[in-house]
Amino acid sequence: MEVPPPPRWRLSTDPDTVERDLTRLVLTLVELVRQLVERQCVRRMEQGNLTDEQIEVLGVTLMRLEEAMGDLCDRFDLTPDQLNLDLGPLGTLLPTQ
Amino acid sequence: MPDDLTCEPPAPGDPTWGPPVPDDHTWGPPVPGDLTYLYAVAREPLPCPAGVGDTPVRTVTRAGLVAYVSSVPACHFGEEPLRRSLEDLDWLAETARAHHRVVDAVARATTTAPVRLVTVYEDDAQVAELLERRATAFTDVLTQVTGRREWGVKAYTTPPEPSAATSPGTRDTRSTQACAGSGGGAGQGGRPGTAYLHRRRASLRGREQARKQAVQRADHIHRALSALAAAGRRHRAQDPRLSGRDDIMLLNGAYLVDETRTEEFTALAEKLGGDGVEIRVTGPWAPYSFTVMEPA
Repeated sequence: MEVPPPPRWRLSTDPDTVERDLTRLVLTLVELVRQLVERQCVRRMEQGNLTDEQIEVLGVTLMRLEEAMGDLCDRFDLTPDQLNLDLGPLGTLLPTQ
Repeated sequence: MPDDLTCEPPAPGDPTWGPPVPDDHTWGPPVPGDLTYLYAVAREPLPCPAGVGDTPVRTVTRAGLVAYVSSVPACHFGEEPLRRSLEDLDWLAETARAHHRVVDAVARATTTAPVRLVTVYEDDAQVAELLERRATAFTDVLTQVTGRREWGVKAYTTPPEPSAATSPGTRDTRSTQACAGSGGGAGQGGRPGTAYLHRRRASLRGREQARKQAVQRADHIHRALSALAAAGRRHRAQDPRLSGRDDIMLLNGAYLVDETRTEEFTALAEKLGGDGVEIRVTGPWAPYSFTVMEPA
């Protein structure tokens, strides 16, 4: 007898996909923190309480983090759009555009 | 809820609906163990198409109100199995189509208050009791929607160019664009980190501004349409993935419009579009957005 496909909206805990999904979740959270730090840096830069040297160091660090995120996405075959969580009525975790 | 469920638990994706219902049972007392599915409340009994699971729809009359109901098997619609059934999108789609078919037919013929999808009672007596207990509320709702139809208005805007986005993995971060920031000033040559932060600032500001404009535009459209309609309601904007379009939905509105003002309403909706905003009008619908009551 054929096994019917599981209803949609059910999680399938296939060992092949579970690793990728877990990676996706972790990367999403890392990306959230990265964007928060970036916004905080921009805010402090606007307030003028960072020295030029500090701005440069922070900027380079954030830029490298972004590159690292891009590389990780490539390695796990994910696109930036996939790094997000739908929180229902609250919208999405990360801005979509 | 009765414990003696006689049929098998729902097989996922199985289009059949338990044992066939004998013809003679539908207008008589329902089979024990069956539940009563409520579609809509109106003021008069009218013939209408088959309901959920292709079973005939009958009416329950009380307090000058008429409830449109049909029998559904407890093995799909009981409290516990229903939770499972609702996770099956194919089952849900089938049920929603049947629900809409009945509601739409009744709403075309008479003033109708549709009930939320999958509203199930233990038996017809419970529905009759509901009509009596909430008679005033139902009557108020029916009065409100008399001579009016619901129209849906959705407004879309095209997302900004991806170059303005700050999504992760934007690959051109290294290219030293000629300082996208406004107050960046000169002297950033050789300071890639500073240039990066300035670009980010400009992009965040641009996005914030675009968001504000979109919100204002949506508010404006909604206010204008609500002024012409008898009532207006905003639903949550749909995820672009549902419609398969890339456009961002600014407004997902529902409006209760006098039948005599239909043309005026659709003309106004068209006029509010343009300038980068696309308006889509759908309807007329049964007044789903203005009649759903909590079956307390």
